[in-house]
Amino acid sequence: MSDERREGSAVVTDSAREYLTFTLGDEEYGIDILKVQEIRGYDAVTKIANSPDFIKGVINMRGTIVPIIDMRLKFHLGQVEYNDFTVVIILNISGRIVGVVVDGVSDVIALRGDQVRPAPEFGAVLDTAYIDGLATLDERMIIMVDIERLMTSQEMGLVDQPYLSMA
Amino acid sequence: MTIDMSQFYQVFFEEAGENLTAMESLLLELDVEAADLETLNAIFRAAHSIKGGAGTFGFSDMAEVTHVLETLLDRLRKQELTPTVDMVDAFLQAGDVLKSQLQAHQEGEEYEDSRVAEVCALLEHLAHADEPTAAVAAPLAAAPTRWRLAFAPQQIGQGAATERQALFASLAELGQIQDQSGDTATRCIWQITTASGREAIEELLAFVCDPRQIELENVELEAASGQRPAVTAPMPSAETETAYGFFEPVPATANTAASGADPGYGFFDDAPGAEATQDHEQTGYGLFGGSPGMTQVAAVAQQAQLDNKRGYGFFKDLSGYNEVAANPSPTAASATTPAASARPAANRSTPADAANKRPATAESSIRVSVEKVDQLINLVGELVITHAMLADSAAGLDPVVHERIMGGLSNLERNSRDLQEAVMSIRMMPISFVFNRFPRVVRDTAATLGKKVTLKLIGEDTELDKGLIERMADPLNHLVRNSIDHGIERPEVRQAAGKSETGEIVLRASHRGGSVVVEVSDDGAGLNREKLLAKAAKQGIPMPDNPPDKEVWQLIFHAGFSTAERVTDISGRGVGMDVVRRNIEEMNGRVEVDSTAGRGTHITIRLPLTLAILDGLSVRMGSEMFILPLTVIQESIQPHPEQFKTVVGKGRIAQINDEYLPLVSLHDVFNSGQPEPDPIAGILVIVETNEGRAAVLVDELVAQHQVVIKSLETNYRKVEGVSGATIMGDGRVALILDVDALVRLSRR
Repeated sequence: MSDERREGSAVVTDSAREYLTFTLGDEEYGIDILKVQEIRGYDAVTKIANSPDFIKGVINMRGTIVPIIDMRLKFHLGQVEYNDFTVVIILNISGRIVGVVVDGVSDVIALRGDQVRPAPEFGAVLDTAYIDGLATLDERMIIMVDIERLMTSQEMGLVDQPYLSMA
Repeated sequence: MTIDMSQFYQVFFEEAGENLTAMESLLLELDVEAADLETLNAIFRAAHSIKGGAGTFGFSDMAEVTHVLETLLDRLRKQELTPTVDMVDAFLQAGDVLKSQLQAHQEGEEYEDSRVAEVCALLEHLAHADEPTAAVAAPLAAAPTRWRLAFAPQQIGQGAATERQALFASLAELGQIQDQSGDTATRCIWQITTASGREAIEELLAFVCDPRQIELENVELEAASGQRPAVTAPMPSAETETAYGFFEPVPATANTAASGADPGYGFFDDAPGAEATQDHEQTGYGLFGGSPGMTQVAAVAQQAQLDNKRGYGFFKDLSGYNEVAANPSPTAASATTPAASARPAANRSTPADAANKRPATAESSIRVSVEKVDQLINLVGELVITHAMLADSAAGLDPVVHERIMGGLSNLERNSRDLQEAVMSIRMMPISFVFNRFPRVVRDTAATLGKKVTLKLIGEDTELDKGLIERMADPLNHLVRNSIDHGIERPEVRQAAGKSETGEIVLRASHRGGSVVVEVSDDGAGLNREKLLAKAAKQGIPMPDNPPDKEVWQLIFHAGFSTAERVTDISGRGVGMDVVRRNIEEMNGRVEVDSTAGRGTHITIRLPLTLAILDGLSVRMGSEMFILPLTVIQESIQPHPEQFKTVVGKGRIAQINDEYLPLVSLHDVFNSGQPEPDPIAGILVIVETNEGRAAVLVDELVAQHQVVIKSLETNYRKVEGVSGATIMGDGRVALILDVDALVRLSRR
């Protein structure tokens, strides 16, 4: 499976790549679909002591312990109630599995490299370092996120730093 | 057909390693004063198997060393020589050299060291110590191939000594040649060691005579085939001996009359049947020999009979072979003849044997990689969890209506529990795997330090997880060496103190309530309280005015703490004990020291049975569940209000049985965000940490579980106060508490 992924990400940038788009507050974000392992509903989590509030805790996903991050809390989009429609995107980022709580998953879109424009310096909730660019689709602006860099960043505190220097 | 020999290398490495270990332990067992013949035989067999394997796989350097080793051993077990301490030392050294060589080969290198030559020379010297010009001159270790030429000089027109000399000289150009015929004019036996093949020799011979008149045979493998019966089938030693004598052409010719062991030699020497037997063996073991017969062996594996013929055909002299092959009944050779011992080997060239080349005992075991076992353990863990989840959802059903489901579930529970136990036991190994190295460690260390020490091993059969066993080796090594260096006094000091000259170190392993206890004790001088305290003061380690002994002893685990007056190469640099403690704590174990001045030191290591499963108590705090490892729990009590006290600046403490313990509230430490409930409603769990006892306040004790430990770090990172996570019966994740870290956390 990981092989497929690697192949996929090695595809020439000219051809279209697929992105999963999700909403956070009013903004729409896109992430490389090859990093997405599955999408599931929100389950009860086990809290982890002394962790930042956006780390909701860990869940048992078929025997694997997976940390769950609430992107809305991370980006200060306000408390959002968890309901039956709350969605967790399970990401597989260089072998590590992380769950991300978002407001909703909207679509899978195909974008060519030239459809993504570089993002200007702007005060988005996301640091531009983690933004690949902006894409326009049907009048909607989609923020393309480099999810791998975001998730392994020190800011998220998801990964022990020694691991990063190793990787 | 060619066979890639390298696919068998791993088998050889493992087997040779085992043989070396066996040899070493037997050597250490050997009582020099009254050597047990059986032990000597066993050592010989081990050396022999290594030699056979090494020779056949082309590790000629190892074969050479084992060969000289074996020469000496052979004389010992034939009781031609009596074992001495020097010999045992030499054997151990040779064992070390072999180990290094083996390791080098495993890494695909060649081992180059002057030790090899030294050890060989030493062994050689010992082997011939009693008779300078030994009749038992061992045939030189054959680096390339050894051929034996036997011919009647007259027959081939080489009657004159000068003519023979010329042939001898020309053959000498091919390689090393030895005249072993003595002064017989009727029959010459030459042995030539050469890298050139049979063809080259035949070509040369063709100049002077018809090569067919000269018996040319490969003697390279004889030693290997000679020892075969001993390995594949445990044979009475007498038979092995005769077989050996038979295949050792050099001494046997000279000794035929003297050595009653091989009366068959003279008879079989010229008999076609005997040669056939030999050749047969060569084909059978050609696989391992890299000899010309090798190509045949793959076929042997498929069709023994047919291929034996083919293999045989390669060796030209057909006469008599079929007789032997077709007539496997013992009548062909009586039990006392060499052929008898050759037969089992020949008959056992079955496919399984050829491929595996294992000692007989190995038939009952298989080698499996640890990852596979771990995967199995994980899967079984999942199964147990799945069952718990099923049972949970079925709990609400009416047992009468759903009788069959209930029955099935309880069956499933029993089976999965049994399965879990069975799978866990795969990883369990007796602790003797670590213990067995210590006789040697003690012997060497004591010898270096000029001390007399005996080692006593107790409970070697105690089983624990393989992963733990491997990680136990280093800490135990440190402890034992420390005991010898610092604990046991010199003989004269011991005598002056009224103790026996010989110190004793005891290594004891036992199961004690879900954990394994390993103890290292010595009857040496014990720890010196004053010295330790003085050293602590010098290093600025804060100590109370009159600390209890236990606290003082714990000082030895401080980094850089050594009270040795001088640094020896054994210990004294003070890097050891803190590493020991760290290693053991990494395994969720703990170390305790107890010592009495003049009576000795006793170090106790307590370890969990396994790293994969933990016996734990689930405790509740608010809505969250946590697991407390059972090994750390000492007692649980329902607290009274007067037991809670506060100390300014030091936080809260709890008074338990006249003892004040630091109080750790899970709510505090984990910032549960909920108001802390009344402590009186909770439960105090008294735990043992590496900084002494502590009381953990929880809301409720729930149940005792066996939980599968999962790492949080796989997908997340290390969390302070938590050593891992597990999945509970309801599918939720529970964190496993690390009490040592909890106590540290609560102090902040």
